[in-house]
Amino acid sequence: MLKLQNISKTYSKGKVKAVDDISLHINPGEIFGFLGPNGAGKTTTINMMVGLLKPDSGNIYIDGIDIWQNPVQAKKQISFVPDTPEIYDKLKGIEYLNFIADVYDIPKDVRQERMEKYLGIFNLKNVVGDIIGSYSHGMKQKLSLISALIHEPKLFILDEPMVGLDPKSSFQLKEIMRQRCDEEKTVFFSTHVLEVAEKLCDRIAIINKGKIIALGTMEELRSHAVEKESLENIFLELTENE
Amino acid sequence: MNRILSLVKIDLNTTFGLSAIQYKFRSKQDRWQTIILIIAILSLLPSYYMIVYGLSEMYEAYFNIGQKSMFLLTGVLITQLIVFFFGILYVMSKYYFSNDLNVLVPLPIRSREIVGAKFISLMVNEYLTSLPIILPFIVIYGVKGNEGILYWVYSIIPILFIPVIPLALSSVIVMLLMKYTNIKGKKDLLRIVGYFLLIIIALTVQFEIQSVIQNSIMSEEDLFLQLITDSNLFVRKLGMIFPPSMWGALSLSNYFNVTGFLHSLLFIGVSIGIFLIMLYLSEKVFFDGLIGNLEVGTSNGSGKVKSTDFRKKLPVFLAIGLKEIKVLIRTPVYLLNSIGVVVLVPILFVMPTYMGGDHFMKQLNMIISGNPNLISLIGSGMIILLGIMNCVGCTTFSREGRNFWIQRTIPIRAKDQIFGRVLSSLFVQLIGISVLLGSIAYMGMITIDSIFWISILGLLGSIAMAELGMLVDIFRPLLDWDNPQKAMKQNLNVLIAMSVGALYLLGVGFLVYKLLGKMNMLFIYCIIGGIFIISSFGFYILLRRMIERQFLILE
Ligand SMILES: Nc1ncnc2c1ncn2[C@@H]1O[C@H](COP(=O)(O)OP(=O)(O)OP(=O)(O)O)[C@@H](O)[C@H]1O
Ligand SMILES: [Mg+2]
Repeated sequence: MLKLQNISKTYSKGKVKAVDDISLHINPGEIFGFLGPNGAGKTTTINMMVGLLKPDSGNIYIDGIDIWQNPVQAKKQISFVPDTPEIYDKLKGIEYLNFIADVYDIPKDVRQERMEKYLGIFNLKNVVGDIIGSYSHGMKQKLSLISALIHEPKLFILDEPMVGLDPKSSFQLKEIMRQRCDEEKTVFFSTHVLEVAEKLCDRIAIINKGKIIALGTMEELRSHAVEKESLENIFLELTENE
Repeated sequence: MNRILSLVKIDLNTTFGLSAIQYKFRSKQDRWQTIILIIAILSLLPSYYMIVYGLSEMYEAYFNIGQKSMFLLTGVLITQLIVFFFGILYVMSKYYFSNDLNVLVPLPIRSREIVGAKFISLMVNEYLTSLPIILPFIVIYGVKGNEGILYWVYSIIPILFIPVIPLALSSVIVMLLMKYTNIKGKKDLLRIVGYFLLIIIALTVQFEIQSVIQNSIMSEEDLFLQLITDSNLFVRKLGMIFPPSMWGALSLSNYFNVTGFLHSLLFIGVSIGIFLIMLYLSEKVFFDGLIGNLEVGTSNGSGKVKSTDFRKKLPVFLAIGLKEIKVLIRTPVYLLNSIGVVVLVPILFVMPTYMGGDHFMKQLNMIISGNPNLISLIGSGMIILLGIMNCVGCTTFSREGRNFWIQRTIPIRAKDQIFGRVLSSLFVQLIGISVLLGSIAYMGMITIDSIFWISILGLLGSIAMAELGMLVDIFRPLLDWDNPQKAMKQNLNVLIAMSVGALYLLGVGFLVYKLLGKMNMLFIYCIIGGIFIISSFGFYILLRRMIERQFLILE
């Protein structure tokens, strides 16, 4: 579903190597967790997957389509929720959702059903007629999530989705991610919350200083680490010894 | 006073990005940008030259009837009126909608210090508007009339003080408007309506005063005798439209005697006086208009929506166009600088025509009845110029700012991007066309033909201009801003697009000038239309490539 081949990216004209020769292959129906300390290169990698940042080298395929060769086609398969939800402050919530639905060409009935469903789940029905500028940070984030779910993407990419969500919404989001996988859709997300990764993910990659230092199911990760108890220990151990 | 100065310093620095420029010039890529900018400014020169040429003809005309001081008055008056009307736009966005207010208001600073600082940095800004207008008048008057050294020394006074009175007046008006429209709920709408009402009232008053004065001049029995004996007759009479302009003009035209000296004192004194009054008033009303500005309206409607709202489906390009228009209308800075401009400019354009008086109108009528197509030609040229001045095209990507990621991660074809965004520019242009046609009708010169041609050619040319602007903007969009002001008003792309657009228009204008009289007018219209269609298509192809490329490589 998602294939990264030898992706590299440097910032500041070669001074900062943010992502260093990463390859990943994510299968349909998989929930994939992307872990790493601050500044490890998670956001950079994700931005390259969604077409915001051109890799210096390497290819990225979404459902077999090269996102840098055929961006519009590839982007139809995905939806993306960034870590900071910057959405048009001057639009009303409903106007933004309709805009996104128009872009993905969602028929009237379908969009009504999905919008009402997700607005209900995330408890935004009462404010969807207000302009987004009046929303709280978490409300914006939830709107961003809903807009990303409207077209039922084959690949759902999220950058630190749990940050800033209240416990109920965060629970709902996890449920939704699970459901998507049951429908053979793919979810890729980065997180700092290790328990979430541990409970939710089929496979996990740990990235540090731009390199993947561990990749596999929880079981496989355990077998590599000395301290086999929890993901937290594995994480600390792997990212510590340089 | 110290605090005002440091506020001014900070403000100027953020407005003109002085530190950023210093920092930028070190890198190679930005040196290119500077070069492009210089080329852009140079390409404005031909248009400017033509204006200056026209002005020296005007000097001759006044000189011949012994009223050359009228030339100075015209200059001062036009400058001050333009500073005043644009001042209303600028003051509103600078005093009430700029983001530094969030920082300034909680600080222990008095309102007059904030307003004073903002006023001074606006003044610096206004010199960019006023100098290019007043300098040619002063230089032409000085050179053609062989005026002495003292003239040039004296000229410093009007040059420096010209923006003070109109800017202080517009500050007062805006502060009062903001105070009395600060009503919960419909605030934004009220202010927009108030703003346009203000302009209409101000203009009507101007027209009325003028026509009264003109009639009184024309009905003087011994007009010709007076013309000969009093070389400041016109100035004294017509100057009543806006007395400060008259004082400025008289101080300069009488630089050699006491009258000039006294008028200089008057001009400076009144300028400072009005500025102080404005400061005093700001203490009373500034905060009243500001409070509640940072909160956004949620009170209209409970936030709930009808189920039919979930069932609106549009083609992609329309969805983009509509989104652009909504954001444009709902962001005051954008609204004032796009729709505000297309409303204001046609009216300001018509005004001087009126100012010339009955005599001038008769001449104009004669010229036009000689070639009735002139109105259509000039009118559509005007609209096309507005197509670039409305800033909609040349800031369309910059305005996305931090929301640009949305456009780049959702699947929109470049074609839909172009269609949608051009559409939003055309929406603004339609308003401009209505106002221009209205103004022409007000002068009593409208015909069915001119309505048809101005609309058709104006719209076709506007498409090309919007695309041209978008080309400039996508090449180097200004995305990293925290204040909408930066995206629209402090965006170099506007200047670059304007100069390229002016060159384009000048080229077409020159061609028309060469063709005039050599063939049937219908033919000429078709040629112009053809040029617009072909260049729109060419720009479209180029733009599609550029958008596809830039959407990939921007960081
Ligand atoms: N725009 C940029 N310009 C220069 N360097 C950058 C830029 N963005 C990120 N970096 C650098 O790239 C590296 C990776 O950053 P990235 O944002 O991908 O980390 P991250 O894993 O998402 O971190 P976090 O957990 O804090 O979100 C860091 O060293 C960072 O300093
Ligand atoms: Mg990050």
